[in-house]
Parts: sequence; C-alpha cells; structure tokens
Amino acid sequence: MIPEIGYAMTAVALGLALYGSGAAAIGARWHRPALIQSSQHAALGVFVLILAAMILLVYAFLTFDFSVRYVAMNTNRGTPFYYRITALWGALEGSIILWSWMLSIYTLLVILRYRSRHPEFYPWVLSVMLGVLAFFLLVMTVPAPPFQRLTPIPPDGRGLNPLLEDTGMITHPVALYLGFTGFTVPFAFAMAALITGRTGDEWITVTRRWTIVAWYFLSLGLLIGGWWSYHVLGWGGYWAWDPVENAAFMPWLTGTAFLHSVMIQERRRILKLWNLTLIILTFGLTLFGTFLTRSGILSSVHSFTQGTIGAFFLGFIALILLGAFGLVAARGDRLKAQGELDSILSRESAFLLNNLMLVAAAFTVFFGTIFPLLSEAVRGVKVSVGAPFFNLVNIPIFLALIFLMGVGPLIAWRRASRENLRRNFLWPVGLGIVAAGAFRMLGVAHTLALLCFGLVVFVTATIVLDFYRATRARLRSGERLLPAMGGLLVRQNRRYGGFVVHLGILVIALGVLGSNAWSIQTETTLRRGEAFQIGRYHVRFDGLAASEESNHFKVTGTFTVANDGRVLAVMQPAKKFYPQEQTPIAYVDYLMGLREDLYLVLGDFARDGSQATIKVQVNRLVTLIWLGGLVLTLGAGLAILPDRRKA
Amino acid sequence: MKGRVLLLALIALVPLLAAAAPPAGSVNEDTVREIAAQLRCVVCQNLSVADSPSEMANQMRGIIRERLQAADTPEQVVAYFVEKYGEWILLSPPPRGFNLLVWTLPFVGIGVGLVAVLLLARRWSHRTARLPLPETIDPAMRERIEREMAELEP
Repeated sequence: MIPEIGYAMTAVALGLALYGSGAAAIGARWHRPALIQSSQHAALGVFVLILAAMILLVYAFLTFDFSVRYVAMNTNRGTPFYYRITALWGALEGSIILWSWMLSIYTLLVILRYRSRHPEFYPWVLSVMLGVLAFFLLVMTVPAPPFQRLTPIPPDGRGLNPLLEDTGMITHPVALYLGFTGFTVPFAFAMAALITGRTGDEWITVTRRWTIVAWYFLSLGLLIGGWWSYHVLGWGGYWAWDPVENAAFMPWLTGTAFLHSVMIQERRRILKLWNLTLIILTFGLTLFGTFLTRSGILSSVHSFTQGTIGAFFLGFIALILLGAFGLVAARGDRLKAQGELDSILSRESAFLLNNLMLVAAAFTVFFGTIFPLLSEAVRGVKVSVGAPFFNLVNIPIFLALIFLMGVGPLIAWRRASRENLRRNFLWPVGLGIVAAGAFRMLGVAHTLALLCFGLVVFVTATIVLDFYRATRARLRSGERLLPAMGGLLVRQNRRYGGFVVHLGILVIALGVLGSNAWSIQTETTLRRGEAFQIGRYHVRFDGLAASEESNHFKVTGTFTVANDGRVLAVMQPAKKFYPQEQTPIAYVDYLMGLREDLYLVLGDFARDGSQATIKVQVNRLVTLIWLGGLVLTLGAGLAILPDRRKA
Repeated sequence: MKGRVLLLALIALVPLLAAAAPPAGSVNEDTVREIAAQLRCVVCQNLSVADSPSEMANQMRGIIRERLQAADTPEQVVAYFVEKYGEWILLSPPPRGFNLLVWTLPFVGIGVGLVAVLLLARRWSHRTARLPLPETIDPAMRERIEREMAELEP
C-alpha cells in the first residue's frame, strides 16, 4: 500500500507544480496577486509531497520492502543501515527524487527571499522554477517511477553497487545536485528578465550570490567525486575523464565563465547577450549531463539504466534551448551592448579571453565525450576518446586560464597603461620566471611542469602583491595591521573572496601537476615475509586473512611499511567479493601525507596466502587537491557574505 | 548459499588466471606502462590498462610483457591490440581521417573565438571617442584613488 501512496504523492506533486507554474505566469501577465499567492502555496505543497515521498522510499529501504523494484535493485538484507538510507540516491529513480527535492528547496528559498521584492521578476521566476520542477516530477511519474512494484517479490534484493558503499557517496551526490539544481535560480531570473523585457543588470545583481552557491556546490561535488574515485576505485587516480565526470565538468566550466562575465556586464554594460547565452548553456548542460549519464547512451560507471528516460530528457533540453534562445532572439533589440571596449590590453578583454578559454574547454570536453557516438554514426567505427586525448588538448587551455587568472584581476579597466602593467606585473612575472628557473636547477626537466609551476607562482604573487598594497594603503590611514587586513576581507569580500578561490584553484593545480609529474608506481609479486623498496618505503608482505562480512566475502592482505627501519604503518588493502558482482572489488589502503601518499592495491593472491601481487603507488602532492578544496570553500564563503559596501 | 559456492570457485580461479601471465619484472616495466596507458581496459568503464586494478587489465599487461619479450616493438604491440579489438582499444583516437575532427575542432574554435574577440574589440572601441588618459598623477593622489577604487571593486 505504501508504494502506491508514494506514487500518488509524486503524481499530485506533478499536478501542483504544473498548476503553480501556470498560475504564477497568468498572475504575472494579468496582475493577479491572488494567483501568485496560490502558486506559492502550490510550491510549498510540492516540497512537502516530495519530502514525504522520499521518507516513504527510505522507509521501504529500511524495512526491506523488496516488492518495490527500486529497493530490490539497490539493497539486500546484508546492506548496512547507513547505506540503506543513502541507497535512496544509489541509482536513477532515487537521484531524480533527490534532485527535485533540492530544486523544491531552492524554490522555497526564492519565495521566502523575493516574494515582496522584484515584483516584475518574481512571479516569472517562480513559474520557470516550478516548470522545471514539473519536468522532474514527470520523469518520476512516467519513465522512472521509484515506487514501481516488482512481481514476483524476490526473497532478497540484488544489493547496492558495492562501489557506492562509501562515505564519499553519501556526500558527493548531495553536493553535486545542490550545484546542478542551484543553477536553476540564475536561469529562472534570466528567463524572467527576457520575458519582462527588463534585460538590464537587475537579474545579474540579484543572482550573483545564488550563482556562487551553485558554483561552489558543483565544485565541491566534483572534488568529492575525485576523492571517491581516488580512495574507492583503486586505480590510483582521481580524474579519469569518464563521461560521467565530463558531464559534471561541462556546466562547471560554463558556470565559471558566467561567474566572471557577469562582472563585466555589471561594470561596463557589455556582454548582455553573452551572459544570457552562458547561463542558458550552463543550465542546459546540467540537464545534458543527466541525459548523458542516465540514459545509457554511453557506457560508464553511473549508467545503470536504459529506457525511455533519454527521450524525456532530450525533449526537455530541446524545449529549454528553443524556448530560451527564442526569447533571446525576440528580445534581440534590447540586448545591444551600451558600453565600449577601448583596448585589447584591458581587464574587459582579459575577461573575454578567460571566457573564450573556459568555453573552449567546455567544448573540447563536450565534443570529445560525444565523438565516439559521432564516429560510430558517420564511419561505423567505434573509437575511444579518453584521458590521453583530454589531457593533451586541455592542458594548454588550462595553462592559459591560469595565466589569465593572474592578469584579469589586476589589469586596468578600459585601457592598461604601460605604468599599470609595470606596477602590477613586473614583480610577479619576475618571480614566476625565477621560480621556474630555480626549479629547473633543482633538476626538474619537464617543460610543462616548469611552465605550470612558474604560472602558479606568478598568479600567487599578483594576489599577494595586491593584498599587500591594499593593506599598506589602509595602514597609512592609521589602521592597525590585523583590523586593516580583516577590514579589507570583509569590506571587499567579493574581490578577496574571489582571490581566495583563485588561491584554492592554484593549490589544486599544484596537486594535479605533482601527481602527474612525480608519482611513481610499480607492481610486484611477493612471497610471505618478502619485502621490496619503493621511494623511501620498505614494504613487507605479512600474509593474507579471509573474513565474512555482512554482505560480502573479504580477503585482506597485511603489509608492514617501514622507513629506515622504523615502522610507519601496517596497511591492509583487501579484495571484496560480492555475490552480485562478477569481479572482486578492490579495497584500497593508503598512507596519506602532505608531500606524498603511499597507495596499496591488492592484486592476485595464492589461496593459501603464501604469495600476493601488489600494486604500489607513491602519489605525490595529491593531498594538495583536497586542501585546495578547503581553501576554495573559505573563498566561496567570503564571496558570499552579504555586500557590506552599501551598509 | 549458492552464491557462496560460486564465490569460492571464483576465488579459487583467480590465482590460476594469474599463473598464465609471465611475472612482472622480466621486461622494462616503464615500457609496459607506457603501452598500457594508451590502451583501454576492455572490461572497465573508462580506465587504461595501466591504471585499472581489474583482472582483465592484469592479463592484458601480461600480454604486453609477453609480446615485448618476444622482441616486438612497442608499435607492434599496440598494432596487435588494434588488430584484435579495433580502433576502440586506443584511448585517444589516432589523428587521421575523420578523427582529425576531434583533434582540430577545439583549436579551430579557439582561433575563431580569438578573431571574434579582436573584431568585437575593434568595433566597440570605435563606438565612442577615446578619452586621453592623463599620464602623470601625483603618487599620493594615485594611492588614494586606487584605494577608493579598490573599495568599489567587485
């Protein structure tokens, strides 16, 4: 009975969302406040219904209700308690619920914040958001109903994908979806701006902080995804250019471009058309990502399903793009730039180049990801486009972006004088060159590594120099050091928040550089008691142990790691054998450090425990990637503080 | 219970498979890795033979070692895999024929974009008469202007 109630709830929510969307639009068009009010109530109803449906589904998971297909597919009696809750979003149907629930939260927040402000925009924003919500509820009702029954009822479920039994999988989807759905807010405001014809800067100033929130969660989702890949998948890396990763990376790239280009419109009244295009593309790409990974069109870790869902998403994407760009075309006359661009040596053009590079990277990822389909369609030959391709093509683009990251914030608006360039860039450029030179002398021969390191030093120097000068100016006006620095951060939180985010990206860049340039690895077979040396580690194989866990069988190897005769750790990488999986799942053990991680993956072994093959990696500087994520969090937090300048 | 029996059978099988491949270390492992990094692990989602921890990748690394031992050049080893599995096995499409599209289009795009930015800059800069910028400002004044400008910065 409960599944039927759940299904009914999603169906009613769909009806309410459709009604609310229509009511808000009619209310806005013919100025009927009562209808807008009614639409707000509908939005609240949608939120409550989705929440209730989610609780019912969790209840079905906790009570092992295998009559529900989704429960039977994603859990079994051995699944631990926590993972029975997170199994909720372990596959497509539940992910769609989570997605719509988050979207309904954003909708409520928009209502709370704007119901008595921006009266021209607000009802249209509400209408667009409820319309998008209605699409996801439609998906939940027709092609991917989470409460679908299964007959005959199996005695036990198939079990959760073992790779998802990890804390990273609790947080990763939540962060990622908060990011994806968050971009609906600026998109809805953009549509409201187009519909009302008020295509000025209002929609951009209103949505600035929403965009940062969405961008931040998307970044966090990507980073946690990398972390999960690194410590669960057992291949020793954090980013494989897998279609599912690319799917989340594309909106991040265009979203980043948007975040930057809106600043130009705010200051210089140009790029109106471009900003609308970027937010439409970003929103479209969040949908496209889901289409790509959930429709089964490409095979990838997350593509658990095949069915009609692809057609629904493709149809909706087409509707969104046609509708949105149709509106843009209809308002073309109001989107002409009013400002001007004086010189190619200016902040405006640095930002334009930044946008060009980010969009180029997004295009590269997009084209590379769909190229296998294209090749199959045109030539009838399947090809793979993987890491070697993406790395080769994207590295120059990313290096250019790091360079622009140093130039953009400091070069003068309008036209940079020689004096401006000299003052802001002489020292940083010098430092960058000296750093790269010093590195070269230390024996680093890799050109790309030197270039990347030099650029990172250059950008860091521009940031430090800027902060130093601003602090000095405050000190001169009689402030003391700490209040001066704190005051700068708070009063100019947008600028310095952005700088801190840039620092976070630089730290991540160093991590990527280090792990690619200096990691070492080897694979070896050891007899019990035998040891070998890698880097500064002495690794000894002590034996194997087998154990039976609640839902799998586990073979654990024990390795003693020492450095100069001093025992550092006893590491226990394992192999887990799940009855529902054909191949064993590696369980990685690693010793994390700032400078390097020692990373062990258990390979084959003799059944009597007399010998085992082990893959050992010394991964350099990977920890910087996670630390960079923390810095990025601080920066985003700072940038999102309410604007103090008007206060 | 049946699952458990299967499992044990599976575990028993693993060392047998391993025995089929020659041991690591008899050929240059860097060459093996270099070749393996270009090849797609056929049972994995999107990992190279070098990275994948799967049994299949392990066997494929074994084949690479075997062929190198039999005095194949790295190119011949790669060609062997392409012949066996098709172009699909290569993680980056060989840059010829139709595949050139994926290699060049991103850069063509950047080129077109650069031209567009330049053209825009030209067109927009003619819109208003340029204001000459004062070349010399008193340093103290400049400090103050910059500070106040900075306060207004986004």
